[in-house]
Amino acid sequence: MKKTLLALTTLALATGALAADPPLPKAPTGKVTLEVWSWVPGLDKTVQAFEKTYPNIDVKVTNLGGGPQTYTKLRTALQAGSGAPDVAQIEYGFLPAFVDLGGLEDLSKYGANNYKKYFVPWTWGQVSPDGKAVFAIPQDTGPFAMVYRADLLQKYGVAAPKTWAEYEKAADTVRQKSGGKVKFGNFYSTYAPWFMALAWADGGQFFRREGDGWVQTLNNASAKKVLNYWYRLIKKGDVGTLQAFTADYWNAAGAGQVATNLEAAWGPGGYAGSLKDKSAGQWRAANLPQWTAGNTIRSGNWGGSSSVVTTQSKNKEAATLFALWLNLSQNALTNNWTNGGLFPASDAGLDLAVLRDKTKNPSKFFGGQDISSVYARASRGVNVNFQWAPWFPFVNDNFNKQMDLMLKGRLTPDQALDAWQRESLAEAKKQGYTVR
Amino acid sequence: MKAPRIVPWLFLAPFLLLFTAFYVAPVVYAGYLSLFIKKRGAFGPARDVFGGVANYVRAFQDSDFLASLLNILKFGLVQVPLMIVLATALALILDGVKGRAQGFFRTAFYLPYTIPSVVAGLLWGYLYSKNLSPFNQITGLQTDFLSSSVVLWSIANIVTWTWTGYNMITLYAALQNIPGDLYEAARIDGASSWTLTRYIKLPLLKPSLLLVLIFSIIGTMQIFAEPFVLRPLGYVPDNITPNTYLYLVASRDGNFSYAATLAILLAVFTFLLSAVFLRFTRRGGEL
Repeated sequence: MKKTLLALTTLALATGALAADPPLPKAPTGKVTLEVWSWVPGLDKTVQAFEKTYPNIDVKVTNLGGGPQTYTKLRTALQAGSGAPDVAQIEYGFLPAFVDLGGLEDLSKYGANNYKKYFVPWTWGQVSPDGKAVFAIPQDTGPFAMVYRADLLQKYGVAAPKTWAEYEKAADTVRQKSGGKVKFGNFYSTYAPWFMALAWADGGQFFRREGDGWVQTLNNASAKKVLNYWYRLIKKGDVGTLQAFTADYWNAAGAGQVATNLEAAWGPGGYAGSLKDKSAGQWRAANLPQWTAGNTIRSGNWGGSSSVVTTQSKNKEAATLFALWLNLSQNALTNNWTNGGLFPASDAGLDLAVLRDKTKNPSKFFGGQDISSVYARASRGVNVNFQWAPWFPFVNDNFNKQMDLMLKGRLTPDQALDAWQRESLAEAKKQGYTVR
Repeated sequence: MKAPRIVPWLFLAPFLLLFTAFYVAPVVYAGYLSLFIKKRGAFGPARDVFGGVANYVRAFQDSDFLASLLNILKFGLVQVPLMIVLATALALILDGVKGRAQGFFRTAFYLPYTIPSVVAGLLWGYLYSKNLSPFNQITGLQTDFLSSSVVLWSIANIVTWTWTGYNMITLYAALQNIPGDLYEAARIDGASSWTLTRYIKLPLLKPSLLLVLIFSIIGTMQIFAEPFVLRPLGYVPDNITPNTYLYLVASRDGNFSYAATLAILLAVFTFLLSAVFLRFTRRGGEL
């Protein structure tokens, strides 16, 4: 009898432990102040819970607002050798460039590898490309799904497409029936990672480490397939080419001139915020259309970020602890989502109750649909072996140049990708990389 | 009685100190930086090693940098004369108008200059956006002011909008300094308003015009904020101006040495341009 009770208690404890935080490293003793650079709204509130648990650690948050200037500031501080924070936020695509600068601490020294099992597998590949050194703790992710206007699809009598073939067919129908006024989708011609996520979903690889060097394949087969597909739709007038995050885009999306779009998991928060007065309740989310119909959903990732510890930090242990806490504790994950719209990179985060709250945005904006489960499915369908190269910031900008030439009709999609590959390769070599 | 020689130096010291700290030192440091190149092993961070003039050689073979210089020359040849003519015309008109209207127009023309160029860029960004632009809505056209082929001239428009009033004020002040008896004498000789402008105002305006032109040439070479602010709104080429290009070399590619090289070349180039311009204009008369 006693044994059963003991077993029951153990079981109860174990079940309780599932929802609890994973055991974090011991906090260093003595007074510690951590400086944190981030762009997550409300992070200053999130860290209060951390300071409560670890009273000897004081966290100072500087919100840099995101965008290229944030990186400029961090890069300059790292280059200068002083002025960098203890912890900073960096998107996955830009991580290798900072590793290359010698500015990021290898967190495997502080036991970070013990936490690999708590994260969605592909996210760990992003911060630990060789499976040994850990340059960051995954924070949020941007797996791809499709958002669409349910009212418009109904009006034009098309169903939410499940495959790219269906997508094109529906796009043709909507163009014809609306007289070209409504674009079925939108191609973000100045966001390389958006395009790369689509090729990523198809298994496309753009960079690969090989021996002592790199292999760059920006013009891989998946990229060519995806770009030719979109170019055809653009030429037909099925999809538009509005710039992401501009007033132009929000205006068109709110006015019902854009029927669907492919957005990362952090995207719906933007829709709920930017379109709250227009078209609220009309939007829905669905799986990313697939090349071949089937049960497994394959997806790519756009954006998402990680928490790094800089080599300049004087309290690397405390900084690592903070980075782990910020991305693993239930408290922080909840706050990051509600205040900052961060879609978690941790496994436990994907099951977070607050993600599925249909009465709150963004789900509320999406007509009370549980959109997080759509994105959680997408996250689990992201290809694990995807790598970025340190010269990605250049590659990112050069994409815009080639797409501009392509949209002006000066290059075919294949030529644009070849030029992207050629010019980026030349630049990487100029920067001194061993790359082919 | 002779003052000790130290006294003038004491008076000069604050200036010399600041001049050294904020002018000489950065230039010297940039020159020092420009002598290094990035070296990489297989993996891991790059090291800066001494490269002599390698960066300078690279710059003269860098088609992006050369294109950016060409861009800014093209820009300057169109925008600067346009702006100066406009500013001169406005100054002359303002000089002719008397009373309350003068104060109003003086303020109105000057106002754009009080707006920081980043804010001006954002403001015009909205006016340029294809679907929202009031120009497009009025004319019913679908002009894309942010298209890479016209964005340089969209920037020229912002710059003209910002700086015309500023230049006008300088020229207007010069006009105010022209002694009234000159006009009086001319009028007695039967000069019309046009002759007055042509033979008195414009010649006496020449030194100020030269000053305004030199400042505009230097300012043009430094254009950065406007293209930078417009970048997120569409495709603005990396090398639209030398300054955006060298900023990207430093902040995006992390190559501070090469950026320092480009900065020094840009400074030399600007200096040469101003010197040539001065030599060319001085030939016609005294400055």
